[in-house]
Amino acid sequence: MNAILECNSLTKKFSNVVALSNVDLTLERGRIVGLLGPNGSGKTTLIKILNGLLVPNSGTLLIDGKKPGPDTKKIVSYLPDKSYLPDWMRVSDTIEFYKDFYEDFDAYKAMDMLKRLQLDPNRKLKALSKGTKEKVQLILVMSRQADLYCLDEPIGGVDPAARDYILNTIITNYNENATVLLSTHLIADIEKVLDDVIFIKDGQIVLQSSVDDIRMKEGKSVDSLFREVFKC
Amino acid sequence: MLTKLLKHELKATSRYLVPLFLILFLFSILNRIVLSFDIFHGMFSFIPGFTMLGYVLSLVALVVVTYVILIIRFYKNLTSEEGYLMFTLPAKASQLINSKLLTSILWTVLSFFAILLSLFTLFLIEGDFNMISDAFQRGWQVITMEFGDKNVLFIIEVIILVILSIIDSILIIYVSIAIGQLFNGRKLLASFGAYIGIKIALQVMYTIIIAIITMSSPHFDDVTFLPTFLFPFVIIMQSVLNGIYYWVTNYLFANKLNLE
Repeated sequence: MNAILECNSLTKKFSNVVALSNVDLTLERGRIVGLLGPNGSGKTTLIKILNGLLVPNSGTLLIDGKKPGPDTKKIVSYLPDKSYLPDWMRVSDTIEFYKDFYEDFDAYKAMDMLKRLQLDPNRKLKALSKGTKEKVQLILVMSRQADLYCLDEPIGGVDPAARDYILNTIITNYNENATVLLSTHLIADIEKVLDDVIFIKDGQIVLQSSVDDIRMKEGKSVDSLFREVFKC
Repeated sequence: MLTKLLKHELKATSRYLVPLFLILFLFSILNRIVLSFDIFHGMFSFIPGFTMLGYVLSLVALVVVTYVILIIRFYKNLTSEEGYLMFTLPAKASQLINSKLLTSILWTVLSFFAILLSLFTLFLIEGDFNMISDAFQRGWQVITMEFGDKNVLFIIEVIILVILSIIDSILIIYVSIAIGQLFNGRKLLASFGAYIGIKIALQVMYTIIIAIITMSSPHFDDVTFLPTFLFPFVIIMQSVLNGIYYWVTNYLFANKLNLE
């Protein structure tokens, strides 16, 4: 079986700024991976290339052996770091939308999760708070049976209680052969759910390791290692 | 995939446009009733003028708002945050463009027929259908007189030109938005700029082409010049231009997408 994600000398420039520089990276299946780095380190650029929203200048990025395109979008479930759903839609419309476009979308699961949040599917997105909207987005994304979940800052804008809900939703809903790629700079909160971490800095991968290895070899938590590596 | 995109495109646009169509028909029927009763005198004499004003406004609104809504839909759905949703669907950029283009053509054609139907509702009386078919026959006679055996060709070319110009008016906006979205923070302004730039370039090009044709063509005073030369020429040029707009729009969205 192919690695779920493989990058070879992946490079992306914006006019004169190098956002990703010769990135080599391989992600195996069945892992929860933290993509960690400060703002502007290249996290979002990598995620955008992965989802076909940007085209690299050179190098390749393969998902299940294929370049980003309609075929890979079928197996990647992406949570952007934005309110990306049209706000005139009702929550039930968004479920209908996902059901129509993604064969792997489980509408019952989504409805069930909404019910447990006591969220009325007839409400319009416009009327929801930012945190609730983020939960709806996460429910949609995690209700797909994808091979790769790509979550950009899933806990960025919400309070600690909501963070726990989101992390729980993630770890209880992905299937065993799927990989979750989770980008954030809030490391302490997510450390406990991660299998692997990738540190990215100035468009380059500075570390890729399992969390256990970091604890064993370095004798410290990912959070404190992060603070060390990215010391200003 | 295109069918699904079309379905959602129609759903998203009809929530504004269907009420607009309904308002137009409501005013048509209302005016028909008001006009057929000659009972509004004295202090009620303002009523016919008032309902007619409503009718005219709903007519103008249908044309203007349809156009504006289709543009806003394209801009917002593809270049704002909603672009994250649309461009990560398992679809090609060209399918997204096609679904929006086809929906826009459909609404343009529908609004034309809606206006026609509302005018019929308002003014048509018994016997008018005969008059209309008479007018068509007379028009056909004039065309045959002017263009001889090129009459059918003339009609076909006019229909193609109308369709091409509808597509042209839509694609020119798409390409302007596709160019405008390249500019961070001022996408809307840049889209307007691109639109004006393209229009000026076209104007210059047309002026040069018309000058060349009038200077070089010996048959310019013969009216069959229209179906045999000028219309085919414009059809080809319009098709090429539409092809360029489409290709550039697709290229920019597929390769130079710049979502914020």
